[in-house]
Amino acid sequence: MEFAKYEQPLLIGGVFDEFPRESTWDAIIIGAGPNGLMTAAYLAKAGLKVAVIERRYEIGGGLATEEIMWPCYYSNAHVVYHMMVDYMPIIKDFNLDNHAMSWIKPNLQTAMAFEDGSSLLLTRMIEDTRDSFMRYSHKDAVAFGKVMRTWRRIVDEIIAPLTYMPAMSPMDLSVILDKTDVGRELLELSEKSPYEIITETFENDRIRALLLYVSCMWGLDPMETGTGLFVPLLLCRGINKCYCYGGSHKFAGAMGREIVANGGVILDMCAVNKIIMENGKAVGVETLEGRTLKAKAVISSLDPHTTFLDLVGGDNLPGTLKESVEGWVYDKWSFYTLHVASKEMPLYIAEEPWVNESFMVIFGIEGTDQLLEHWTNVMAGNIDLKNFGGHSTCESLWDPHLVYAPWGGEVSFFQMHAPYDIVGDWEKRSPELQDAILDKWQKVAPNFTRDNIIQTNAETPVDIEIRFPNMRRGSIKHGDYRPTQLNTFRPNVECSGHSTPIEGLYICGVSSYPGGLVLGGSGYLAANKVADDMGVKKWWKPTTEMEKFTKTYL
Amino acid sequence: MGDAERYDVIIIGAGHNGTTIAAYLAKSGLSVCVLEERSECGGAQENTDPIAGVHISPHAVALYGGPAPGWEQLELWRYGARMDWAAQNLSGMDFSSGEFMGLLCKDGVSFASGKDFDGWLKLSGALNGFCQELLRATFWCPPHPSYVEVNAETVPFMQVYKERLPEVWTPEMLEWSQFDLMDEYMDTEPFKIYQAYIAWMSGAAGHMEGMAIPAFESVVAATLYTTGAVPMGGIHGYYHALIRCAIAHGAVFRTCCPVDEIIVSHGKAVGVRLSDNAAIGNKVIWADKAVISATEIKQTFNDLLGPQVVDPGLMQRVNDLNIKGGPIYCNYFLLKNPLRYREKYKAAEQTGVCYPMDSRELYYNHVADCMGIQGNPTVPYDEILWLWAGSNKIITHECHPQCTRPDRYIESSIEFYVPPPQYHIDGPEAMNAHKEELKTYFRKAFSCVVENLEEDLVEHWVLTPWEQEFRNTGMLGGSWYGIRHCRDQWWNERPLPEMARYRMPGVDGLYFVHQSAAHPGGLCLMACGYNLMHTLIEDGIAEPGDWWYASPWYIPEKGKISAVPREGKVPA
Repeated sequence: MEFAKYEQPLLIGGVFDEFPRESTWDAIIIGAGPNGLMTAAYLAKAGLKVAVIERRYEIGGGLATEEIMWPCYYSNAHVVYHMMVDYMPIIKDFNLDNHAMSWIKPNLQTAMAFEDGSSLLLTRMIEDTRDSFMRYSHKDAVAFGKVMRTWRRIVDEIIAPLTYMPAMSPMDLSVILDKTDVGRELLELSEKSPYEIITETFENDRIRALLLYVSCMWGLDPMETGTGLFVPLLLCRGINKCYCYGGSHKFAGAMGREIVANGGVILDMCAVNKIIMENGKAVGVETLEGRTLKAKAVISSLDPHTTFLDLVGGDNLPGTLKESVEGWVYDKWSFYTLHVASKEMPLYIAEEPWVNESFMVIFGIEGTDQLLEHWTNVMAGNIDLKNFGGHSTCESLWDPHLVYAPWGGEVSFFQMHAPYDIVGDWEKRSPELQDAILDKWQKVAPNFTRDNIIQTNAETPVDIEIRFPNMRRGSIKHGDYRPTQLNTFRPNVECSGHSTPIEGLYICGVSSYPGGLVLGGSGYLAANKVADDMGVKKWWKPTTEMEKFTKTYL
Repeated sequence: MGDAERYDVIIIGAGHNGTTIAAYLAKSGLSVCVLEERSECGGAQENTDPIAGVHISPHAVALYGGPAPGWEQLELWRYGARMDWAAQNLSGMDFSSGEFMGLLCKDGVSFASGKDFDGWLKLSGALNGFCQELLRATFWCPPHPSYVEVNAETVPFMQVYKERLPEVWTPEMLEWSQFDLMDEYMDTEPFKIYQAYIAWMSGAAGHMEGMAIPAFESVVAATLYTTGAVPMGGIHGYYHALIRCAIAHGAVFRTCCPVDEIIVSHGKAVGVRLSDNAAIGNKVIWADKAVISATEIKQTFNDLLGPQVVDPGLMQRVNDLNIKGGPIYCNYFLLKNPLRYREKYKAAEQTGVCYPMDSRELYYNHVADCMGIQGNPTVPYDEILWLWAGSNKIITHECHPQCTRPDRYIESSIEFYVPPPQYHIDGPEAMNAHKEELKTYFRKAFSCVVENLEEDLVEHWVLTPWEQEFRNTGMLGGSWYGIRHCRDQWWNERPLPEMARYRMPGVDGLYFVHQSAAHPGGLCLMACGYNLMHTLIEDGIAEPGDWWYASPWYIPEKGKISAVPREGKVPA
């Protein structure tokens, strides 16, 4: 007796029905990361027949809260800090609170602990930050209050609404932004490099180091001009980070349930083999297990190389698209993350006891020169074990739902910038780096001894790529933030409007405008684009911030 | 109470059974809210990646639920249910070569005989076309009302044998153990040990009196019915189809929402109170029609209901429910090379998944260790029984990769029965305290068959029963089946005779669907939910559409609404 490979056995007779080998949809979304889920949720609720296909066993992409300190300790394996909760349209459009989603936004957002026991705070309430800065420099405390007043307006009135509106060319942007004071201020900032902005505004070296770290930690070259608009954005959002209670995956779960509740289907543990092309149009996908799903719109959330070169095929790309895709550059650095389960949480010796209650604690960085040197090392493929720093969070301080060990414990992580191609290889370097991190951690938090530690899991840039293959080379944003890969250039001029030169093919991932860090921008914009193209009535309206922006600037 | 949330039905626990009944009730048009303590739904139907690119199933691995009416009634195909049919090893038959199953014994491979397989296939109903019917009679039928006498004429599977295979039907079958049954119809000792051990690994063990057919049928469900193949995405993939069915029909699922109390007022369950750390502000939710506990029975009684609601006599009997025979110590090996069988076991590389299958003496020694001794395993390492429910055995790599780390291989899980931690003489943490020692012991045991475990080992992860209990609150004592699948705790006596129809005596609107509190117990069968549906229809709570059909062996309770639709679908 022989069984056809993926067919039901004949021994007992037909067993039960399975998802069909061939099916037809209005829209197929490849990849169930935050943006793929978002696009799918909007379109499903608009009445489209939607299928989401996910390679992993679980949806969420970077919204992954998993038991990576096996067994009994859950960690946010990737995304921890949610910076756009205040603006993301999906949260209100879908009333996600109904899924028992709760956002924690501590006032004590970021602390920087120095080896001599001193510390700096960056808080949600501006005045608390100024109190902390005051002890280092009166001038900087004053400056911080002043610039944040404007920068908050820049974010509220311009950058946040723009995140959820179609990309504009730098030329168009400079024309419209010229209409207001804050707009002109932003244009001025945009010309500069993060380093210029920070050093021009602040005098104290430690304050500079803190603000530079927070501005650039997600992958900005501090010396690169033309990326200055990220400084107000990342500083303002860096003091408004939220923790998703129960773990970041809850956000994915809520979106997944909205998709399914609105008639959509999610296929997980299902890899896409290729995007089916007919007469130059994308008409569906074929999965690894041999199923075919046809659709009017195929929407990929994957990186450009995977979408266009691997799934569509380089030979099928019209015009200059192949060239554009091949020119795509991945993030300048990745992350090395050491997850730790410990008996007690790390208790820092800092002079300000608030450090222990801070959402994020930066340590290992004593000044700007050292920080720049560390980043230079990383970009050169190296890590100097005597000179590195990063940020940490004790997740269980905010979330009792991560620890399932009979003996209790706490869950923390330390994260630092790290190169994908490290000198030596990761298998060799990881253990020595882990040791160096624990030594450094213990220096600032003396109770964090080896005895206190129950278990660890070190995730290298290579591990990031293994877990999420579209974060090629460990690129958390699927591709670098540099002027030639932003706005209308993300991922390229052909595709920055979320449609592509290939009819029926759309993109919605973080390699498309406006980019990564769970902004919820590209997924929202792709849904808008597909709805427009398909003539679907939108059940959602632009947010009030977007409407205000349109009124003022457009 | 004015603007408080209200649902028709609240279900506590989004494990397999809570989710199944949620899907059934939501599809019946009821408003349903499921409250899950953990951040992830699925209970024991879970998967996880302990490190990037390495995939394991901590609990349930094999698919036993193939014959469930739920596939059809809930139309799971619509919600993405897919099988990985490429791996079909557990059936034990290498159909291409015509060879029968090779079994691992201390001295080498013992092959099952033709008589073994003839007896096995005959009793399973596979040869006469009643395999599904027999399985459904065993698992997918609520126990009869208490006034119906339980005998060889009334027990559903006995009815099926009497009609379909009258030559094997005898009243004594009802009293037999699986060993008695096998001694009658099968041949070689190792094959019988294998069957008895797989049955034990499935809950009802081969030696348990009066459990011959349920024990035998659980082996058929796991190995023959779906040929040992698993769903795409593993057992968690099957869960995804189930929960998405419930959600598509409007069920609300809330994670990180532990329940502290079932609110009982005037003899009726009216709602629940969530614990302080629940992820939602509204800590009291009201149920207009029913509260269903899909969590473990002892905790439901002791913690959620408490002595205000439960009389001391009942509480004692609930606390006496036995959890032995269910705690499994799981091992997961990350390796540099695939495991190789030793020379003398090469012939059983495809089918040999349990060791040592030599004799009843070894089997009973291990049983005594787990059920009769309150401590760590005492049998020599080459005599402790294990099951390799392993990834490579039943999950294919091509379309279903379990390890995507370059040059690494995962084998999960290699399972050993141990005593429940609560019954351990040195306290529940004892087996954790001896973790390293036990790990070495388990590796030595497993190395009796594989030759390169030690030299290729990168990581050896374990999951102890004590850890399992804390990870999955419903798995008291790390018991995979809630309470033991023995005759005193099965069918009309599961969990207790007065609760066999899933109702709480003395409290209206309170029902049980957890494996520890409901026939037929564990194995992710969609059976506790299906069976409970009969009761909920009887009580006027659920009125399913014409997609519903009752079990053909179901007996309606006098004075209640019959769960058999007057018109509509009957089982195929």
